[in-house]
Amino acid sequence: MKTTIALEQLKNPSLVEKLKTVKLGDIPIKILLVWFVVAFLIFPNLNLLISVFYKNGIFSTEVFGKLLSSARAIRSLSNSFLLAVSLSISVNIVGTLLVLFTEYFDIRGAKLLKAGYMTTLIYGGVVLATGYKFIYGENGVMTKLLVAIFPSLNPGWFTGYFAVIFIMTFACTSNHIIFLTNAVRGIDYQLLEAARNLGASFRTIVFRIIVPLLKPTYLAVTILIFLTGLSAMSAPLIVGGDTFQTINPMIMTFAQSTYSREIAALLAIILGIATILLLTVMNKLEKGGTYISVAKTKAKMVKQKITSPLANMLAHGLAYVLFLIYAGPIVLVVIYSFTKSTNITSGVLSAKDFTLGNYITLFTQSNAFKPYLVSLLYAFLSAVIVAMIAILVSRIIHKSRGLFPALLEYSMLIPWLLPGSLIAIGLMITYDAPKLLVFNKVLIGTTVILLLGYIIVKLPFSLRMIKAAFFGVEGSLEEAAQSMGASSFYIFRRVILPLVLPAVLSVIVLNANSLLSDYDLTVFLFHPLLQPLGIVIKAASDESATVNAQAMSFVYAVILMLMAATALYLTRGKETSN
Amino acid sequence: MIEFRDIEIKFGNFTAIPNLNLMIRKGEFFTFLGPSGCGKTTTLRCLVGFIQPTKGSICVEDRDITNVPIEKREIGIVFQSYALFPTMNVFENIAFGLKVAKLPKAEIRKKVLDIAKKIDLSEEQLLKNVSQLSGGQQQRVALARAMVMQPKIICLDEPLSNLDAKLRVGLRGELKKLQQDLGITTLYVTHDQEEALTLSDRVAIFNKGQIEQVGTPFEIYNKSASRFVCDFIGDINVLKRDIIREINAQSPRKLDENKEAFIRLETIFSEKKDGYVHLCGTVKDSEYDGVFTKYNFEVSGQTLRNIEKNDGIVVYEKGSQVDLYINPATVMQF
Repeated sequence: MKTTIALEQLKNPSLVEKLKTVKLGDIPIKILLVWFVVAFLIFPNLNLLISVFYKNGIFSTEVFGKLLSSARAIRSLSNSFLLAVSLSISVNIVGTLLVLFTEYFDIRGAKLLKAGYMTTLIYGGVVLATGYKFIYGENGVMTKLLVAIFPSLNPGWFTGYFAVIFIMTFACTSNHIIFLTNAVRGIDYQLLEAARNLGASFRTIVFRIIVPLLKPTYLAVTILIFLTGLSAMSAPLIVGGDTFQTINPMIMTFAQSTYSREIAALLAIILGIATILLLTVMNKLEKGGTYISVAKTKAKMVKQKITSPLANMLAHGLAYVLFLIYAGPIVLVVIYSFTKSTNITSGVLSAKDFTLGNYITLFTQSNAFKPYLVSLLYAFLSAVIVAMIAILVSRIIHKSRGLFPALLEYSMLIPWLLPGSLIAIGLMITYDAPKLLVFNKVLIGTTVILLLGYIIVKLPFSLRMIKAAFFGVEGSLEEAAQSMGASSFYIFRRVILPLVLPAVLSVIVLNANSLLSDYDLTVFLFHPLLQPLGIVIKAASDESATVNAQAMSFVYAVILMLMAATALYLTRGKETSN
Repeated sequence: MIEFRDIEIKFGNFTAIPNLNLMIRKGEFFTFLGPSGCGKTTTLRCLVGFIQPTKGSICVEDRDITNVPIEKREIGIVFQSYALFPTMNVFENIAFGLKVAKLPKAEIRKKVLDIAKKIDLSEEQLLKNVSQLSGGQQQRVALARAMVMQPKIICLDEPLSNLDAKLRVGLRGELKKLQQDLGITTLYVTHDQEEALTLSDRVAIFNKGQIEQVGTPFEIYNKSASRFVCDFIGDINVLKRDIIREINAQSPRKLDENKEAFIRLETIFSEKKDGYVHLCGTVKDSEYDGVFTKYNFEVSGQTLRNIEKNDGIVVYEKGSQVDLYINPATVMQF
């Protein structure tokens, strides 16, 4: 519906034009979006800065003194940087090996190896850390085996810096599997043939042709790994022990007391600044560092045979050891999810101990199913809401130019620059008291705050994907519908939405899947009576956890993996087959 | 110069080239022509050394190179995708092989500048990134990179297929001139018959891994050795029994009435020619493209096509009767 209020009376033609295009139906939506941006994306973060650096209305740096006097906080900072640097090296080495073994060298059983290496795509975060602890932890299957062979071995060997690096190295190779694999596949094989034809040796080909081509991908992947290391949560928390705690677990610890909440906020701000700086660097690298292939007809990469029998044997050996490291925890988690609780503690397996009992418990006992239900509800509700917001914003960006859509878009991308813990602390500090922006309600301690947290963190990804889908719709379709007299809403509903729907559904599935077992953000915002899966699984990995809780955590993990695999198939697998 | 002796190439159970024998002369511009998947690129890659034959041998200047490593064969190649290194500029691309061969810097520079001059690349262009060049310039760089190594043979694998039609025609001429100036033995792979006919000294027609005919462009076109060659090169009319009978009735050359015969469109004339076989045709329809007009005639119950140069005067209307003339010597039968 368009305004028709005495337009002829208005003398300013530009204003007339502007009023002609104003749609009354849009105004409430825009107001709602502006409120959302101000209330949840801008104000909590500003409030966090104010609460840390302003005391009684005066600028104060007192918090730095508090931070410097806390040995634990300082150690966590240095540990985080140490972890980030170490991971940047170890993940690149392992990730490169994975890609070499699956894409470049002719290794037997490459498909099976790849399936093993790809398990991190369906098995990550707290679930993965718990799985590794189950194998290598004090009561772990592997530890028991090792102690049997080396009786002098300390059963608590898998803890601290080494354990965190070990887990995270194998957990963080997903970026290599996705991006580096694609980069390697994108290389025109004729480049290598041309180099060979011009007399280049294997070494020259690798260092003069392949490495320069992959450099931008390596730089981008390294920054992502560095960021992951900086904001690590699950692995340090589960296996870091007292000796190796990093920023995020410290933020969580400090956030629990009112006195130290300031330190938590400052740590989160430091993490945020580091993230913004690194993402800026990555953005620059992306803009300036990619090479444009001139090939119009690329030749597919041909796998290279390793001619030296010794090198070939070593490569095969290493490839399968890595496979065992990747697939081992998953296989054992699946197997033990079908055993009695007592088998989990003893580590002994026999055919008669196999049972469906744990699965039956999950689906018949409400207390066992409750975390699942809570996570499912939170994950899907937030995924749907965030998709709706992204659709509305994308439509505005797509349809109009000017300051408002630009500001709206940039505001929606704010959470991309901020670590989850910073967002969580911002919400905690801001909405622990009544605020006019949220109609004088206290949000902390309610079920809404976690939902809001999930929506906020998933906004940037959702907006980028859905916006891309909107811009992929040919403009002539809308014009054709318009020329046939269709209204704006009708065009949106009947023409645009069906075209962007596959992308929207993919975004919903991916978001919901990644939120199902989230721990890093959930731990700050969850309602004590409605514990989601991430919290329950982490609790099951604690030494104090009951055996039944451990057994249930395996069942949760297996079902999560199945759901993740389905989500992956529905989104990526279908794209590939198309 | 180049001799393929009893070459067999297999990929697993699939035989791409069952038995290939071929001689290519020194300084010749030789083309492998055929449809996609016929084995022409496979044969070329076998010569360069990317593919090892399962049987047979390849000799260059009487030296068996079958087991010689790629880099020692002294054979340059220009790929269909050009395979220019995107991380290097034009100069570095051309100099790549020379650097690998560890030539002194001054010599590398001299050689690169020399070849760049020959292929019309300015010094300014040498400093550009390859992605900043047009398709034609990229093609020249790929050629320069192969030529600068002064190979005995240069292999070109569909080098013009990524360019637009006009540029393709232009580069075709340049390529031929460059080859003649340098006198380098050139092997050219293409599926474009026009390219093959205009560029080559001799052409080998490939079909299903076998060579159907080797000959000059004139021989290939006018004296095709098989129905496949006849069909693959140019446009052709297939003559059936009734027309063959008419030809036999009017001509001392007797064609086999039990086999189909073939005649090119441009060898059917509508102007009277003495000693030619006369046929009566009725215009079914026509296709006008400015320079030429293609007519479809109804002749003895079958359709015959011919092509007439547009003189701006004569136009045959649909349904009109036209006298057609054929020289029996131009009719091919296999």
